[in-house]
Amino acid sequence: MVKKGIALLLLVSLSVFTYCRTNTADQDPYLMTDYSRLHPVKVERVVQGKEEQQLIHLLQAARDHHLKVSIAGQRHSQGGHTYYKDSIVVDMTSYNRILSIDREHKKVTVQAGATWEDIQNAINRFGLAIRTMQSQNTFTVGGSISVNAHGRDIRNGSMIKSVESFRLLMADGRIKQVSRTENAELFSLALGGYGLFGIILDVTLLLDDDELYSATTVTMPTAEYVGYFLTQVRTDPDVRMHIARLSVAPDHFLTEMFAKNYTLEHSESLGQYNKLSKREPWIAPGKLLFQLNRSFNWGKALIWDLQTKFFTEQSGGLISRNNAMRAAWQFMEYDEPGSNDLLQEYFIPVNQFDSFVSALGDIVQDQKLNLLNITVRYVNKDEEAVLSYAKEDMFALVCLFNAPLSSQGQLHMEQSVRQIIDEALRRGGTYYLPYAGYPTQEQFQAAYPNYKLFFRKKLRYDPDELFVNSFYEQYKGGDAG
Amino acid sequence: MNMNWLIRSQSMVTLAAGMIYPYYLLFLKNLGNSYSKYGLAFAVFTISSAMVSQWLGPKLDRYSPHLLVTSSLGMMGAMLAFPWVMAYGWVLVLQFIMGCCSAMQKMSERQLLADYTKPGERGAAIGSYHFWTTVASGLAVVLGGYLIDWLTINVLFYVSALLYGASAWSVWRMRRAAAKELNAGTHAISS
Repeated sequence: MVKKGIALLLLVSLSVFTYCRTNTADQDPYLMTDYSRLHPVKVERVVQGKEEQQLIHLLQAARDHHLKVSIAGQRHSQGGHTYYKDSIVVDMTSYNRILSIDREHKKVTVQAGATWEDIQNAINRFGLAIRTMQSQNTFTVGGSISVNAHGRDIRNGSMIKSVESFRLLMADGRIKQVSRTENAELFSLALGGYGLFGIILDVTLLLDDDELYSATTVTMPTAEYVGYFLTQVRTDPDVRMHIARLSVAPDHFLTEMFAKNYTLEHSESLGQYNKLSKREPWIAPGKLLFQLNRSFNWGKALIWDLQTKFFTEQSGGLISRNNAMRAAWQFMEYDEPGSNDLLQEYFIPVNQFDSFVSALGDIVQDQKLNLLNITVRYVNKDEEAVLSYAKEDMFALVCLFNAPLSSQGQLHMEQSVRQIIDEALRRGGTYYLPYAGYPTQEQFQAAYPNYKLFFRKKLRYDPDELFVNSFYEQYKGGDAG
Repeated sequence: MNMNWLIRSQSMVTLAAGMIYPYYLLFLKNLGNSYSKYGLAFAVFTISSAMVSQWLGPKLDRYSPHLLVTSSLGMMGAMLAFPWVMAYGWVLVLQFIMGCCSAMQKMSERQLLADYTKPGERGAAIGSYHFWTTVASGLAVVLGGYLIDWLTINVLFYVSALLYGASAWSVWRMRRAAAKELNAGTHAISS
């Protein structure tokens, strides 16, 4: 009897502990949030996008009942772009068919909920590859172009460049064909438009040939990086993709880097390397290591040492473009109640890189932020989108912080991030909008001087503000209209 | 041999099964694009289980411990295979195998419960059996959740395989010990 009592007590205690541990708003299954798990709210309902007519009727119903509509893909943006209190959330992930592949002209037309992986799976056999996308392939095309994403490719600019046209379901229920020549104004508004101009139904994307790359890794002091990039990477047309990583290990905090280049390889044929890698290897050990990175300074040092060693040893390995564009991500999955890994991204003019990194390092250390990693990408000047972030050739510094989700913890993050953004703005830089809405209204307006035009046009195309989200509510301010 | 080894080994089985069961359902749901496809996977499980029960029935009186070992080993194999399955057809194959294993386990468990108890005195033993297997399942399911949060669902399958392996080993050991006991008893009587 005693044994049974102890066993039952153990089970009850574990259950009570788990209840208390997960009893936080970010874990509430009846509330809606995004990847950040910040600001969960109740929504009217989530509707799976299936058919064009269904979406048209849905908008009609929303208008009739005076409901708002938010549009969601994989919900990886982190600033409330995909939901709004009491709104209907249209989940586009099920609207994901590949509609056509034009091998001759290297184009693909897909429904907006298709992921990059869906496209890669469809086009790989034809020797075609995606031109621009994020490092990971899990995002939807609609979501990615709504945030005008960018990635490792250093030759093709941000995503807007690879979009030929798309069809947009407008607030009034009409569908418009949008390209650089047709309804051209909407092209630069809805791309990087954060779901505020309508539902992107299907998209025609320009593709490239799949290619064989040699992936090489070079380590260097941070001070040498800009020179290295300008003389050895940017000037070499064979280097097609590039990504660098700054050390967050205490011993060489932001002073050591490694750069990974994907250089066109002519010595071997693509055929031996173009089978798509479908499984992410070593997820569980990777997850454990990344947890050490979150929890301990020695963990940060350990993961840096292992990464540099691993990538240096692998240096020179051959990989197809399609395989290089499907970076591992599952090892970073993190569901811990009450805290989360949050991204921030800063775009810094090339010649301001060193000084910004130094200022960033000071703030991170002064504020004792838990910075898990920083990757560096290169973005060509691209001002086609109204809310464009690359006013000149920039380095994009993607910073991953682990932060508490408590109000106190978030206040601290907000204050710290605002300091970092001030440093970016001071150097002619900007920040990326898909992440948590820490920046002030003034910082937003300084980084995106076209904001007035953006919000004015929003009201022109959607006067009743049918399409809204938390990001819009936060930053539309009083200047719209 | 007495009830304790049965409780111990079958608690291990429920630990292994309880650990994966709810998460396995999620895993399967993600594989199918529709609920009917998901339902089909379970129908296959029940079909194989029902079919094999008719073949197993007559063998149950003699071979229950063997069947428990076979069932655990089969489940161990299925758990090891799941993370590597990349096609729905293979899921159905595994569901079929798991249905057979489930029939072996459920039928042997009932048979042995009946063997080790006497009519009129079964209540307490069955209560005890139910208590331990249920508590094991409860612990498993909560710990399973932590394991997936911290590691991956694949690790959960492997841990479950390990537990099935351990239960097979424990039944095998007890069966041998029981056989020795029986032999010793026979020798004592004959000498």
